[in-house]
Amino acid sequence: MITSPTGRAARRASRYAALGLAAAAALSLAACSSGASGTDSTDAASTDSASDYVWTMVTDQAGLGDKGFNDLAKLGLDQSVEELGGKAQVLQSTDQAQYVTNLQQAVTSGSTVTTGVGFLLTDALVEVAQANPDAMFTLIDAIATDEDGEPLPNVASVTFKEQEASFLTGIVAGLTTETDSIGFVGGLEIPAVLRFYSGFAAGVASVNPDATVTPAYVGSFADAAKAKELALGFYDQGSDIVMDVAGGGGLGIFDAAKELGDGHWVVSTDTCKVDLAPDNFLTSAVKDVAGSVLRENTAAADGTFEGGSVELGLSDDGVGLCQDNIDTIPADILEKVDAATTAITSGEIVPPATPEELETFEAPSL
Amino acid sequence: MDIFSISLVLSAIHLAVPIILPMLGGLISERSGVMNIGLEGMMLGGALSAVAITFLTGDPWVGLVGAMISGVVSGGILAVLTVTLRGNQVVASTAINLIGAGLTAALVPIIWGIDGTTPSVPKIPSLEVPGLSGLPVVGPLFSGLTLVDYGAIALAFAVWWVLFRTDAGLRIRACGESAESADAAGIAVVRTRFLAVTVSGVFAALGGAYLSIVALDAFQAGMTQGRGYLALAALVFGKWRVWPAVAVCLAFGLADAFALRSQIVAPQIPHDLLLALPYILALVALATFVGRTSAPAAVGKPFARA
Repeated sequence: MITSPTGRAARRASRYAALGLAAAAALSLAACSSGASGTDSTDAASTDSASDYVWTMVTDQAGLGDKGFNDLAKLGLDQSVEELGGKAQVLQSTDQAQYVTNLQQAVTSGSTVTTGVGFLLTDALVEVAQANPDAMFTLIDAIATDEDGEPLPNVASVTFKEQEASFLTGIVAGLTTETDSIGFVGGLEIPAVLRFYSGFAAGVASVNPDATVTPAYVGSFADAAKAKELALGFYDQGSDIVMDVAGGGGLGIFDAAKELGDGHWVVSTDTCKVDLAPDNFLTSAVKDVAGSVLRENTAAADGTFEGGSVELGLSDDGVGLCQDNIDTIPADILEKVDAATTAITSGEIVPPATPEELETFEAPSL
Repeated sequence: MDIFSISLVLSAIHLAVPIILPMLGGLISERSGVMNIGLEGMMLGGALSAVAITFLTGDPWVGLVGAMISGVVSGGILAVLTVTLRGNQVVASTAINLIGAGLTAALVPIIWGIDGTTPSVPKIPSLEVPGLSGLPVVGPLFSGLTLVDYGAIALAFAVWWVLFRTDAGLRIRACGESAESADAAGIAVVRTRFLAVTVSGVFAALGGAYLSIVALDAFQAGMTQGRGYLALAALVFGKWRVWPAVAVCLAFGLADAFALRSQIVAPQIPHDLLLALPYILALVALATFVGRTSAPAAVGKPFARA
């Protein structure tokens, strides 16, 4: 370029392009924080305006709008602002390379408690938490430990017994299926997804030993187009129920069921998703991520924040069956669900949390 | 329970078209001598515009037109940066990617008041081809595709025809091989490139709209998931020729569809391996069959009359 007769012009011009790149970078940064500023400015004004708490969350690759744990964490953030004052700040990650940067940026910007949403942020959060021992963090869905396996003192790790809730959805699915073929669409094969799968398959097996549950993975939590093709594949091969643990990809699974119409069910996770496809939504294994975020933030505000890990299950109301459409589920199915709930809370049934435990799991009679 | 069914082919087409459309855009732009790695950002712009306009008008076909207009804008911006201002093409199109990802994600809460995912909008319906959709075996193919799928193949034909069978195509390719010679031969290099880059934006935007209002019925931030880059890979792999590149896109789609569906019938095969299949295939093929690449000689070089 420099040797050509137009070298100088080109050099000058590439400066224009660099300017454009800088503008673009600024714009995308603005986009990252816009989700936060939109809501909190009004919220903060109505509460304690003197409070300088900054409640921060860093999303995983699915980002806000996943109708799953990212949205739930955001809800917990909004509740924190309402109850404790201060302001909410959301840093969105669109790919894994942004996790460390976003977490570090949160700390630098004076975040009171920084919540990392999802197993995928574990390594990044451990790195940033160790570099900033005075900052407080909450990690959802995974446990932050140092090299020796000791929990980090400045990270509250919140995990859920997803298997307990998905055991209940498995009962509903096992008693609903007419083809005895059920599909499971996961985003990536990570522990939380495997807990959902193992509990679900065990729940199905305990009420319908003839039914099969086949797991399949999209390879991403944000590719709805691929998740849809996978769900269509399941329905195509004779499944009438598909469980969705595909994060943002769930949109595609619901779209597949809607396209095929009645008799094609979706069991979902994290939140109730009745509104996505009212005629196809069967039930959902929900997680109280919002409550956990609020609890840790409250602890920080009260000065009682502690690191370490907590695991929440049915007995702590940390997980459960979606209540929004509970009246559409037949009474005889609900009876079994209630029996299982009692047995799980009393410890009589321990739903499997891994595929290995699933293999040795003896289905109880309900 | 047979994996090699017609619905696998249907699935492959659904996964290939959103790569074919931006690939055609990249082909036009690069043949004219402008490297366009901004396809991903242009796709996101198209995907969001399609949903926004469909949301406003209730008609997905108007939404498709909206996406094309967004493509004219994003392609036009890149053309101004690279052709008019002669900026560095890699830097400028990276800027388009950043703006596309950031701006579309930021506009969702501004327009709808919710983050990340828009509400559902009407989608482009699939087309029952009278007579053919009742055929045995291939019938589902003629009821599961939309006019946009057929349109994508028609567009591939049109691009091939224009680039390789018309005077205009010869002029475009001349600009891509040697802008100075083209200029000496009386071709308006700047105007030709400007148009080519703008048109490439329209193709990429259509690819994005395919994801948001044909395959799905909503926009999700970052929903293109690297398909714009996959389109570039297909372009290089197909040596900047229309039909080989289309074939590569179809192979990507088929490999994806196979990777997804084989998990259902053969759960014992490790799915990580299956999901990496398209990329492994591409690597192996690039390393063995393709050999020396044959990019247009003047691609990446800004042109100004001396």
